[in-house]
Amino acid sequence: MNPAHIVTVRDFSPATLAAIAAQLEASTEFEHLVYRESELDAVWSITGFFLAENSVAQDAVARLHETVHRAHDLVGEGRPREAAALLRTLL
Amino acid sequence: MLSREENELLTRTGLGTPAGAYFRRYWLPALQASELPTPDCPPVRVRILGEDLIAFRDTEGRVGLVDEFCPHRRASLFWGRNEECGLRCVYHGWKFDVTGACVEMPNEPPEYRFNNKIRTVAYPTREYGGIVWAYLGPPESVPELPKIEWARVPENHRYISKRRQESNYLQAVEGGIDSSHTNFLHASLEAFRVTDAYLEAVKNSNNLRAKYHILDKSPRFTVKKMDYGLAISVRRNAEEDTYYWRLTQFLLPAYTMIPQQKGLAINGHCWVPRDDETCWVWNMTWNPDSPLSEDDWKSIREETFIHARVDPATLRPLRNKDNNYLIDRDQQRTKNMTGIHGFAAQDQALQESMGPVVDRTRERLGTSDTAIIAMRRLMLQEIRALQEGEEPFAARHGDVYWVRSAAVLLKRDVPFDESSRDLVGAEV
Repeated sequence: MNPAHIVTVRDFSPATLAAIAAQLEASTEFEHLVYRESELDAVWSITGFFLAENSVAQDAVARLHETVHRAHDLVGEGRPREAAALLRTLL
Repeated sequence: MLSREENELLTRTGLGTPAGAYFRRYWLPALQASELPTPDCPPVRVRILGEDLIAFRDTEGRVGLVDEFCPHRRASLFWGRNEECGLRCVYHGWKFDVTGACVEMPNEPPEYRFNNKIRTVAYPTREYGGIVWAYLGPPESVPELPKIEWARVPENHRYISKRRQESNYLQAVEGGIDSSHTNFLHASLEAFRVTDAYLEAVKNSNNLRAKYHILDKSPRFTVKKMDYGLAISVRRNAEEDTYYWRLTQFLLPAYTMIPQQKGLAINGHCWVPRDDETCWVWNMTWNPDSPLSEDDWKSIREETFIHARVDPATLRPLRNKDNNYLIDRDQQRTKNMTGIHGFAAQDQALQESMGPVVDRTRERLGTSDTAIIAMRRLMLQEIRALQEGEEPFAARHGDVYWVRSAAVLLKRDVPFDESSRDLVGAEV
């Protein structure tokens, strides 16, 4: 696991979330946390667009969207392992 | 994205705010020395961090920076007379020296004068690198001046300009460290479309930026926290076996150095909050090795890069929001992305269009925003640390600013960190 590597975020699939969670668990330095924050920002953006474009109720995606937001804030607070644990509840 | 609380913490810089307190821990560019050309010249208004101040050069050449409003009846000292080592309010004659002491109070009968009990707010100043710097923080914590290269080169090796931008400082800083926008906002149409004509024109260019910058629109970012701020490395594909690397320096509290290959003039900025909705954009061009070239001066005169002509009374750019930055829609259709002339005006147009203070709770960021995320996170850490009583390290260690930006072509298997070490130290 190389926390200096930025996960490619193209979707909000379990594989993407698992990859970010694994990186979170290995992240300790300022730079690593910045990369994790950018990954979570990307997931939050994608889920936000998905929710805006899909009028049918998407409770699961809405829950994911909100959870990623909380994980993002945990990273900002310097708590990556808690953020990882939160992401893993979605898997 | 940022929370509302984080956005407020970063963007509010007036008296009593946490970010304001943080900026006040540093010497900040306040005005150009040339704005006060001679002893006893007319005073000038300086609005900085939400405070309205007046700068004046006294008879002995010292620069005072005092509250704009006379403590007597709050008349503006902008109308004051700068004479005999002080600035005299023309309303009732009270006079203040550069330290803020009231040295005369002629309207009061002598037995009632209490001028020795009166002081107006006055901030210490230093002249350095062609700029008058001001320190607005606690007198017991005076920091060091930054040992920053552009301030230390000979005068004919540098050009500095200043303009007023109608946006909060933070979105301006973000524009300065976000390398990826340059592939779009500042591109000619030929470059953006990567036409055969463009490729032919740059094929044999020695200018790395002209040759490689535009070809890879999706650069990879890495960041590194440093004593002075951040080293932001951006990698673009160049030839099959090389990468084009650019290293932007972000120096606390709000300077950047734009990447440039060795031998060419370097450019950079400093942003100083004027208040929460406007900022000063300082623009520096300097060459450590030689006087600025005729090409450098041409770029300055023609406003093609970071400098822009301003109204001398207001320091507002001549291309501004009120005239749509003199946009030429035909140019936009046929020549460049914006139809707006010059990088400075292009940046200003887009940054001002985001509103006076961007609502960052509504952003949709991606991994290409890594540098911006890093800068925000660093600033939040610094501001919160000061709230806990920890003084900013960079403010108290001017030597850490002795760095430079870089741009270089490297073989793909060569690590950037090691190769750039020799390039990023200032040398003057």
